[in-house]
Amino acid sequence: MRIKKNIENFLYDQDYFIDLFQNCLHIYYYEELVSLSDTKIELKLKEFNLIIEGENLTISNMDKHELLIKGKINEMRFKR
Amino acid sequence: MKHYLLIRIKTNKKSTLLLKLNRLNVDIKNVLYERDALKFQILEKDLKRVKKYLVSYEIEVIDETGIYKLKQELKKNNLIITAIIFATIVFLILSNLIVSINVIHEDSTLRQLITDALKERGVTRLSFKKSYDEYEEIIESIKEEYQDKIEWLEIDVEGMIINVRVEERIINDYEKDYSTCHVVASKSGIVKSITTKKGVAEVSINDYVTKGEILINGNIKLNEEVKNSVCAEGMVYAEVWYHVSASMPTKESSSKDTGKMRYNFMIKKNSEETVLLKSRIKGEKRVENVFLFSFFGFDIYLQKEYEVEVEKISYTKEEALKKAIEQIHEKLDLKLDNFEEIISEKVLQKEIKNNNIYIDMFVAVKEQIGVKEYFDETRSDTNDEEYNGDTNGID
Repeated sequence: MRIKKNIENFLYDQDYFIDLFQNCLHIYYYEELVSLSDTKIELKLKEFNLIIEGENLTISNMDKHELLIKGKINEMRFKR
Repeated sequence: MKHYLLIRIKTNKKSTLLLKLNRLNVDIKNVLYERDALKFQILEKDLKRVKKYLVSYEIEVIDETGIYKLKQELKKNNLIITAIIFATIVFLILSNLIVSINVIHEDSTLRQLITDALKERGVTRLSFKKSYDEYEEIIESIKEEYQDKIEWLEIDVEGMIINVRVEERIINDYEKDYSTCHVVASKSGIVKSITTKKGVAEVSINDYVTKGEILINGNIKLNEEVKNSVCAEGMVYAEVWYHVSASMPTKESSSKDTGKMRYNFMIKKNSEETVLLKSRIKGEKRVENVFLFSFFGFDIYLQKEYEVEVEKISYTKEEALKKAIEQIHEKLDLKLDNFEEIISEKVLQKEIKNNNIYIDMFVAVKEQIGVKEYFDETRSDTNDEEYNGDTNGID
């Protein structure tokens, strides 16, 4: 349990983090949702903009700092 | 606790809506994309803000979530839930209630004793059942309290009925008989059977014995020397004889109600009776007096007069004789027990005088003649309680 706790502390202590799973993407500590469509989502993070492109992209959960995107992700880019 | 609501917002531009929601900083989760709407969970406080700023959208609250949904369901079905709870409580009460206590024993006194003891310990009809351990304690306490009366006790719970099985304690409190006695003949006769329980039989079957003769000896002898003395016990049946006289009228009359009844009044003072009205019964009658009230020392009675029909019966000599013999049999039968019987009888003399038949009879009866005669060391110290010096005559 201590290992898990350490990892959590390590992760949540970051300015941001991005988890990519098979068909979903979890972004923590984004600053702004710039644009949103079913093929392209652009997010502003602290140091760059994250552009996600894919098919049937949907928002599953959303709050002020956290976003869970589902769908077929084809491409992810960073724009500084 | 966060209160989430499941809502549906109609829109064809779902991305735009999501962007707007993002700008409003609302938390949404479990977003479902429908054909022309978005369905998601939103905090109640956020919904207010959404409704305030997104006025052009058609927002529909579909359902509550979590504990609030449970609350809502409870509220919606409160009648059924209340009924179920009530039924459960009633069921629990009834299944734990004692409706009947059966104390199983043939002795009503013991049954009442156990019922009272259970009542003292809180086991009564329409009370709640107790646990197995509590019943065990009750059993032990009752057994302890009535240890001279109860041998064994069991409480068996069958549904709403308590069966109490009890076994009575029988204390065999034999008092040792240290007295010494003989069994002697209460009447003269010929011995027909002899059964000895204690002592030594002194007579044999067909022996003629006289009144007061020892039948079963309480002294146990060996070589003419008394070794031990007991209280002799046994049954000695002998043929004894009675000389019996009886009389029977040859003419009798019997009365029978005809069913006709008339009322009258009667005044009684100092045992002097005066009938007020003239009797309306012409022939033979019998009267019944019903007390009504007293008035200045006069007792007023309602008198019922019943008309009776008197039938006179005459017996022939044979019939009268038969009836007289029956009368003698009845008298003797009253004196005889199960093992005693009339052996033989003979009419000695019969005479008809003043419409009566008089007969003398000789009757031989098999009868128990042994009675105890107590002695100390010698036979002269007797204390016979049962021997009553009866003669063979019948009154």
